[in-house]
Amino acid sequence: MSEEYENNKSSYQAQSSETISGDGASSAPDMDYVRPAEIGEQDLYHGHSFITKWIFCQDAKVIGVQYFLTAVFTGIVGLILSWLMRLQLGFPELAGFMTAEHYYQFVTMHGMIMVVYFLTALFLGGFGNYLIPLMVGARDMVFPYVNMISFWMFFIAVAVLMASFFVPGGPTGSGWTLYPPQAILEGTPGSGAGILLMLISLSLFVIGFTMGGLNYLITVLQARTRGMTLMRMPLTVWGIFTATVLAMLAFPALLVSSIMMTLDKVLGTSFFMPTILKAGEVLEYGGGSPILFQHLFWFFGHPEVYIVALPAFGIVSDLISVHSRKNIFGYRMMVWAIVGIGALSFFVWAHHMYVSGMNPWFGFFFATTTLIIAVPTAMKVYNWILTLWRGNIRMNTVMLWCLGFIVTFVNGGITGIFLGNVTVDVPLSDTYFVIAHFHMVMGIAPLMVIMGAVYHWFPLVAGRMLDEKLGKWHFWITFLGAYSIYFPMHYLGFIGVPRRYFEMYDSPYMTSAVGMNEFISLAAFIVGAAQFILIYNIIKTLKVGKPAGKNPWKANSLEWHTSTVPPEHGNFGDRLPVVHRWAYDYSVPGANDDFIPQTTPPSEVINTEVEKT
Amino acid sequence: MSEIEKKDQTSTHKIGIYLWIWGLLFVLSFFSYLVDWYQFQGLLRWSLILIFMFLKAGLIMAFFMHLFWERYALVNVLLWPMTAIACFIVLMVAEFKYTLFTRIFYFFIGG
Amino acid sequence: MSDPKIEGLELKPGFKGMASDTASDQTMFKGVHWGKAMMWIFLLSDTFVFSCFLIAYMKGRGSTPVEWPNPSEVFALDAFGVPVPLLLIAIMTFVLITSSGTMALAVKYGYEKNRKMCGWLVLATAMGGLTFVGMQAFEWSKLIHEGVRPWENPFGAAQFGSFFFMITGFHGTHVSIGVIFLFIYSYKVFAGHYDTGKRGWFTTMKGDYVEIEILGLYWHFVDLVWVFIFAFFYLW
Repeated sequence: MSEEYENNKSSYQAQSSETISGDGASSAPDMDYVRPAEIGEQDLYHGHSFITKWIFCQDAKVIGVQYFLTAVFTGIVGLILSWLMRLQLGFPELAGFMTAEHYYQFVTMHGMIMVVYFLTALFLGGFGNYLIPLMVGARDMVFPYVNMISFWMFFIAVAVLMASFFVPGGPTGSGWTLYPPQAILEGTPGSGAGILLMLISLSLFVIGFTMGGLNYLITVLQARTRGMTLMRMPLTVWGIFTATVLAMLAFPALLVSSIMMTLDKVLGTSFFMPTILKAGEVLEYGGGSPILFQHLFWFFGHPEVYIVALPAFGIVSDLISVHSRKNIFGYRMMVWAIVGIGALSFFVWAHHMYVSGMNPWFGFFFATTTLIIAVPTAMKVYNWILTLWRGNIRMNTVMLWCLGFIVTFVNGGITGIFLGNVTVDVPLSDTYFVIAHFHMVMGIAPLMVIMGAVYHWFPLVAGRMLDEKLGKWHFWITFLGAYSIYFPMHYLGFIGVPRRYFEMYDSPYMTSAVGMNEFISLAAFIVGAAQFILIYNIIKTLKVGKPAGKNPWKANSLEWHTSTVPPEHGNFGDRLPVVHRWAYDYSVPGANDDFIPQTTPPSEVINTEVEKT
Repeated sequence: MSEIEKKDQTSTHKIGIYLWIWGLLFVLSFFSYLVDWYQFQGLLRWSLILIFMFLKAGLIMAFFMHLFWERYALVNVLLWPMTAIACFIVLMVAEFKYTLFTRIFYFFIGG
Repeated sequence: MSDPKIEGLELKPGFKGMASDTASDQTMFKGVHWGKAMMWIFLLSDTFVFSCFLIAYMKGRGSTPVEWPNPSEVFALDAFGVPVPLLLIAIMTFVLITSSGTMALAVKYGYEKNRKMCGWLVLATAMGGLTFVGMQAFEWSKLIHEGVRPWENPFGAAQFGSFFFMITGFHGTHVSIGVIFLFIYSYKVFAGHYDTGKRGWFTTMKGDYVEIEILGLYWHFVDLVWVFIFAFFYLW
């Protein structure tokens, strides 16, 4: 490192003296001073053939798109599974082809796919790869080769997961939490090859993600451009960065529990397996601790919730700021809230286990930490609303998705306060109330942000604007539909309808749920179908969309100020940009435009009231 | 910056320090072996094991892995996440005691 | 290591220095090579893996009402007809610490650009690691011979064998991977890749002796994990 730095130092000095002397006449030199470069120019591997350019590509942007497409493919599989589940719940007479086993398998695969292979991969692998180097002003990720391997590991993990649909016995049907002992015992659907493939796939995912995660972290920490301090980074980068830190520290617990359960399954060890009586016979297992798996799983599982949520928080902050032409309210508070939520998320895991039979004193500890985490989260919500307040709001599709997110997230967050309290959680756990809560807070809410982000950044990726009219249809159907699905579920939970049940049987209060279940199912079919509007919109736009040009949203952050649109490999042409301010100088009093890009030196906006950052 | 100057700053420390640490590690390992040899039991055994373990780990991290000479930004980034592990350990101690209690209570006393 | 000179920024020591490093632009870890930063973060993640293994072991061992085998008897070895407790384990610890010491010296000589010395020390480390793996294979085969299996053992709680094979196996895998890389890197040192700045196979970065330090970090980490395994598995 130091060697490289030595070799290249002279050229950087030349660069910096140029900045200092500026272009002479008009500028005030001291004002625009930015420290000289510490890190050398990165050597990039430019692909020449089709294979090195588009398949085994080392460009983070292409890898990001690859991640995005693969994750969306698995997401569509998850969507189809949820349709099948809703068909069974709403109209069992039409779902004669489904047995109870099928239903359990679909529940399991839907959950695992959506949480891990769809949302995590999409936010960190997709948006992370595409946006981090662009937003911090780097040529590429710091280890492009490792980054490429990371995607292909993810691809193999998805392939293994999908293969489990086609093995004898089908995929595992133990619920997405894979609780032992039932996950690997006969009688649970997919307890043979299905669960094994699931565990292998998860391990591969963790290994692949570790490779990618190291890239994201080191790029943010060690490869920012000149002038880009941590407190000038867009909140998108902060969200993805913190989520990656969580992932690097939480996925080990998942890896360990997968390895241990694989050994239980294959070698007949008893890490998680207690003494079990089956039809009067004692099985060979004995002496293990099922609750240990739950602790390991949720030590991963709770940070995982924030791995999905934090990038969404970050992205939505940027979108709201850009589309209401106003700086984000309380930027530093937002950063510390993200970091604080991330840190706290490692101390709350057992609030998923109030009814598991763990040490009863834990309830007190975990209820307390859980409620503390609501404080930084609420701060963020206030800041979003205060950013909107008296902003120059543009009611385009992106803004609609952001508003939808805020409403949905507040809704899901409040039910989270219910469930964080032991006494309220005990009667509500394993009912549809829980389903409604986590779908609102970590299903629909992050999904709204993803949709907003797609409408926002598609012009950058493809150079064409998505159709607004179709976008608004897409939003309103999804938003109203999602509320039609999940709002009634809260009520179902209150009357005690249990989750994961194949059918509701004939007890009197269950019959009162029948009409509501039919309504929910109809809404689910419509919402699912509405997502194909987006796919149609994308295909249409790629063919006949309006060219976006440079910086169509008039945004400040670096990704809109690349040498070409869409940015080519290396991102910024000959010279890396030099950053002089944060990404939120919108509607600054005294400025000519209502936005001041991050690269504008102070001497050019001398008579304005910009924030000191 | 000349080559010699750079060397002084960044890289090398006198060979003596490595040999000292090396020697200390052998001595500490020997001591922790003696804990087993003399069959200390109970609290004494536990405290001795943990003291020697943390001393050895500390020496390896501080000098062999150069953390002693690194800037605080790196050191703190590496050490703070351990609080999550510490919390996990403390809670799991409480948990295994409770599990053992329930097992003895239901299988042997109540069963 | 230590404080490099960064232009246009005064590098302060201690927590003040940490605050100014964190607040500055471009890099947070001043003067730290990308690869080295990556290795540190990876080791942090790997620490969580081993911590989870050991916590699981603690939970499993602590909550079993069946008697746990006494490691000092199980791992005893006959020396001249007398059973010596933990003899093999003591030698393994000795070997691993020795290899850790040679690695530390290799890093030192690497930074002094002493190609020969660095190469020999890396090779010595590799041999130490190989010896360790060999002795572990011996230990495993001895225990298997005595009837210890992952699912059962003649001495007591079945989880003893499960955790033993899993944790030492995972650690042994780390050692084996390290040994492979040590051999590769000793070749690269002897061939002078780091003096000429030859680029690696998979990376566009120029070769530099810092790679020896990165490898050293991994190897010391393997030793570090063994310190904890030795304390918790063999001495508890």
